[in-house]
Amino acid sequence: MTDQKRSFVLGSLLLLLAVVWTWLVIDTIPPGFGEGDIGARAFPLIFGIFLGVLSLLLLINVVRSKPECEPDTDPNDSFQGVIHWLPAGLILIEISGYGYLLNTCGFVIATPIVVLFVMFVNLRIRSAKLLFGMSIGLTLACWLIFEKALGIYLANGSWINIG
Amino acid sequence: MMEHFLDAFGLAFTPMSIAAIGLGSLVGLIFGSIPGLTFTVALALALPISFSLDAVPAIGLLLGTYIGGMTGGSVSAILLGIPGTPSAAATVLDGHPMTKNGDASLALGTAVIVSVFGGIFSLVVMIVSVDLVSKVAIGFGPAEIFALVLFGFSTICGLCGRSLTKGLISGVLGLMIMTIGLDLIEGVPRMTFGSVNLLQGVNLLVAMIGLFAIPFIIEAFSEDAHLPKTPKKMANVRPELPSFRLVFRNIWLMIRCSLIGTGIGAIPGTGGAIASFLAYDHAKRFSKKPETFGKGNIEGVIAPETANNAVTGGTLIPLLSLGIPGDPATAIVLAGLMIHGLVPGPALFMNHASEVYGIYIAVVLAYMWVLGLQLLGIRLFVHVLRVPREILAVVVLVLCVIGAYSIRNSAFDIYSMAAIGVAAYVLVAVRIPITPIILGMVLGPTLENEFRTAMMLSEGKVDIFYTSPTVVVFFILAALVIGLQGLSELRAKSKTKQKVEVSDA
Repeated sequence: MTDQKRSFVLGSLLLLLAVVWTWLVIDTIPPGFGEGDIGARAFPLIFGIFLGVLSLLLLINVVRSKPECEPDTDPNDSFQGVIHWLPAGLILIEISGYGYLLNTCGFVIATPIVVLFVMFVNLRIRSAKLLFGMSIGLTLACWLIFEKALGIYLANGSWINIG
Repeated sequence: MMEHFLDAFGLAFTPMSIAAIGLGSLVGLIFGSIPGLTFTVALALALPISFSLDAVPAIGLLLGTYIGGMTGGSVSAILLGIPGTPSAAATVLDGHPMTKNGDASLALGTAVIVSVFGGIFSLVVMIVSVDLVSKVAIGFGPAEIFALVLFGFSTICGLCGRSLTKGLISGVLGLMIMTIGLDLIEGVPRMTFGSVNLLQGVNLLVAMIGLFAIPFIIEAFSEDAHLPKTPKKMANVRPELPSFRLVFRNIWLMIRCSLIGTGIGAIPGTGGAIASFLAYDHAKRFSKKPETFGKGNIEGVIAPETANNAVTGGTLIPLLSLGIPGDPATAIVLAGLMIHGLVPGPALFMNHASEVYGIYIAVVLAYMWVLGLQLLGIRLFVHVLRVPREILAVVVLVLCVIGAYSIRNSAFDIYSMAAIGVAAYVLVAVRIPITPIILGMVLGPTLENEFRTAMMLSEGKVDIFYTSPTVVVFFILAALVIGLQGLSELRAKSKTKQKVEVSDA
């Protein structure tokens, strides 16, 4: 996708966000009472309108500029404008799953499961030594440093609690 | 004064404080030296750890990470030709050719020495400036603070990224996120959709971890990650200290570059990368042998490394005196300060003088740690550079979850972090800069609260915003920054258009 097309999609999505945001603000937040009280609504409303104006400006710039021949890539840019949807989606699921497991099974059980899964699925590592060494080693190291040395609470499970 | 200074020594020279600063410096050096894994990620992960510490060790940990990270970027820049952090990008130009010429040890040693010089120099300038700026700022009322924050914010949006519109969009998104939750003045829920978890709003620290660490993890896990793999074979290096002759021959260059770095650092939204490139350009212009730049000239390492470390002191000027962070790293330091009850601004020096002096001493200690660690432990960093990025990303993932969870012991924060992180990854990919979002989140509540307080004080009359000369000056400056940035973008566009027309013809 060229930078221009990407900016067009981005501008449209932001405009939609601005409209929905502004409508929700007007609908759900009461205005101020006047006489110096501008109320809780004013700032979210102004920000929504600003976002709308800026998105429109972005869209106008895209429409007015000449079509590009090649995708906009910069060798110095750390992301090069390519979105890797699959790893992004997987990370979202894995971290959310990690959060759920932390609540139910606690840190000591949740961490090796998640690390094992991430290394097996995302990194396609098949070496049992590396998989188990990393998942158990990392869990143990974090538990010792954070829970025992620094006294930071690392979640005990509500279903299974092994401390 | 002397009494506060003695207290500060007592606070900064405890075993816990020294160890915390050392740990921060080590973590910063490691994170800074790994390309793609910036010290901002390290800072976001170090913040939850600082909760359990006293104020000076906690801020020392954060500043140690910041300073270590800024210095560590030069290791991979010199050895691999890949900057560990954006601020070390200019160091690659002559640092890596020096490695190719067999002078890697001298380049590394010189980089450490000039980094410490730049950092300490900027600290001295910062101590003097912070006091002066604070004395001016003590008379500011809500209207002046609103105008000042608006000016700082517009500078950040204007100077970040390549597009003014995208910079402003990013800033507005940050401001919008911070309006979610219970309104502090009237207690009205805003955009919470009936969720109890959202009543407290989006936690700033959770958002910071998500914004900086998750995009790195996704990128490291992506199959065709474009960053070059670290070569297995690397020169067996150890830093070689530069001779006194070399240092004294370049002392004026180091002072000039320190001034450039401190000055640039004091302007919100600029940062180490701009300072180091400006210093590099300055050194090249005034060099007796400009033709040797890019081929391994030691001045090409001295200039950017002095400047990017001098930025650390510069960024602390608006942070400590006005409460305006200039970049994401100082935004995290600001969060750390506030968690420990140290609210930046003129009152900070009256209420917490000992802690502030303790922070100054912590900065010096951090530079001593960086010097020692880099001179003695360079082999460790070379080993760290050999660890695959994907494996480091797994470690970062676990640390992110620990960090997000430990803030409020809530799984909701982990879900928020994941969602914000993935959104940040997409935003970065579509070239929306992240810095204005985070600074919008930091400055948003102040912007709104000060405006509302000013309006209440003036009983709804807007003349409070144009009768004070200070307010008017800040408004004009904000408009100037945005206007000039917009104009320079328009000029750049018309130049590109002309080029296209000429090439078409």
